Amino acid sequence: MTAPDAARPHSLRWRLLAATLVAMAVAVALAGLLLAGLFRDHVLRQFTATLTSQLDQVTARLEIDANGQPRLDAQALSDPRWARPYSGLYWQIDAGAGASAQRGVLRSRSLWDAELAVPADAIVDGAVHVHEVAGPGGANLLLVERSVRRDGSSATVWRLLVAAELRETQAAAARFNGVLVASLGVLLGLLAVAAVAQVAVGLAPLRALQRALSAVHDGRSQRLEGSFPSEVQPLIDDFNTVLERNAEVVARARTQAGNLAHAIKTPLAAIAQAAAAAAVHQRPDAAATLAPLVQEQVSIARRHIDWHLARSRVAAAQGLPGARTAVAPVIDGLIRVMERVHAERGVRLSFDPPDPGLAFAGEAQDLQEILGNVLDNACKWSRKAVHVCASASIEAGTPRLRIVVEDDGPGIAPERRASVMARGVRLDESMPGSGLGLAIVNELVDLYGGRLILASAAAGGLRVELILPAASNT
Amino acid sequence: MRILLVEDEPTLRAQLRAGLEEAGYAVDEAGNGRDAQHLGDTEPFDAVVLDLGLPVLDGLTVLRRWRANGRPMPVLILTARDSWHEKVAGIDAGADDYLAKPFHMEELLARMRALIRRSQGLASPLLECGALALDTRSGRVTLDGRPVSLTSHEYRLLAYLMHRPGSVVSRAELTEHLYAQDFDRDSNTIEVFIARLRKKLPPETIETVRGLGYRLVAAT
Repeated sequence: MTAPDAARPHSLRWRLLAATLVAMAVAVALAGLLLAGLFRDHVLRQFTATLTSQLDQVTARLEIDANGQPRLDAQALSDPRWARPYSGLYWQIDAGAGASAQRGVLRSRSLWDAELAVPADAIVDGAVHVHEVAGPGGANLLLVERSVRRDGSSATVWRLLVAAELRETQAAAARFNGVLVASLGVLLGLLAVAAVAQVAVGLAPLRALQRALSAVHDGRSQRLEGSFPSEVQPLIDDFNTVLERNAEVVARARTQAGNLAHAIKTPLAAIAQAAAAAAVHQRPDAAATLAPLVQEQVSIARRHIDWHLARSRVAAAQGLPGARTAVAPVIDGLIRVMERVHAERGVRLSFDPPDPGLAFAGEAQDLQEILGNVLDNACKWSRKAVHVCASASIEAGTPRLRIVVEDDGPGIAPERRASVMARGVRLDESMPGSGLGLAIVNELVDLYGGRLILASAAAGGLRVELILPAASNT
Repeated sequence: MRILLVEDEPTLRAQLRAGLEEAGYAVDEAGNGRDAQHLGDTEPFDAVVLDLGLPVLDGLTVLRRWRANGRPMPVLILTARDSWHEKVAGIDAGADDYLAKPFHMEELLARMRALIRRSQGLASPLLECGALALDTRSGRVTLDGRPVSLTSHEYRLLAYLMHRPGSVVSRAELTEHLYAQDFDRDSNTIEVFIARLRKKLPPETIETVRGLGYRLVAAT
């Protein structure tokens, strides 16, 4: 296991941080743009309102004399900036509108020799238009205009213009933007720190899990220690169950391997002993006895191997929760095998198909191992027919599976039934096979918490009844 | 009778070959799955002894491919994998019998005899044709109950004919089924043994069908 690397693109930490930071940056940037826009809008609005009140003053002071010429008493205007040249606050009166307009009929002293140029748009009397125009010295001006007409006359339309420099407004907006960017930057920084802290706190259990796992990995611990948040705890519990089962299986496998090794050692020692004796003494009778002795000891060793092999097949798959095996296909498959393998004996196998939902609470291989041995035994001994049936039953409140195999062979005398189920007993040495059939079945059924019952069949042969755990109908 | 022996372990293969040849079978062998599949697809075997754990291509796959290609010869699986679920898989792949290692040679031979006999639709191990009888279990041939002494080549030829009572068997078929692939197939050999058999049995027992081959007819 390598050290955790937070910069790896696949680490949870990196993904959480990246997603949070990108989202926060986008939110802060949008907020900044919105605030800056709002501020600029507000300032412009106020500026326009001030200019409009100046325009109102100018409008109020405007007089049209008898010749129809406009007059404006400059002294009556209060703001001193009207009089100071290029002060940044200007007024101007144009005659007419459109292309024939006569510009600068009257101008504020502040305009000096400059003129305000307005876009030649149509304007309704009394309405106020706002423009941004270039003023003296290229300064940026905000201009408001309005047209007036002498009462009751259709004569010349007078256009009153008032403009002021935007410099200060723009400077104010720039100052505000600077403060805004700085404060939003600080906010983003603080949020990032909070996100890092949140990710660190949120993922702390995973780091603890990693430590616990590496402790298991290094053999310092047998299970994942510690308590974890409710989202992870079920996973941890399951994992611990698997670890415990694994340890059990390993322990059992070790014991079995040891048992098998010891069991085989004895025949090997006997063979080695006999071979050594034959070699050393060169006695003709030693050589003659060697072959049967080897055969006998090899068959003993083989029975040990068969026994342990059969046990290990079941022990490996045992106890896994949720195992469920439909019974009928297993029996059908085994009957196909029996019909081939025992074809020469001409045995007829019959099977009453059970409820298709009938299921064994265990692995298919285990049921095959159990039933295969029972059926094989029945076929070996039967004269003509073997009958199989399977059904469900309830025993002490738990669902049970009952499988009965009957043959018409010689059967087993009641007093010998217990002994054939004991390990390694073989009643008839002349029949092929290791003689472990029913003993193995008994052992396997026992491992599943079931029972093996031997009785006499109606047809005179052996009746084998298997009681096994049934899977509940779902 | 010609048998394909598929086994990758050389010592066991040699032992099996010796045992099968001693019992009068012509044996071709394959040490891996690919060779086995090729031989089984192209040569007419009377039976196959098939190991499952094979290099290149495993035995069950080989068997499934033979069956998919419509090869009907009886197959006996001979393997150390003897759990019942493996037996079910073997039979369902198209095997006709299943024998677990370690095994006794006698049992293998008995099963081979039965497989070949059943594949010809013959139920009894005692093959009869009129007064002539051949016991596949003991390899004894009798005529009206009196034993007839045959050499192994004569026995193989007669046994093949007795497995197909009443049908015409061509010389090419006899050569193909009585000798392994690497055997020097001298075209006269069959005639020589037919002639010898006719001397030991009533001459009309083996009828020559001109241009087609030989037919075993019930001796009167």
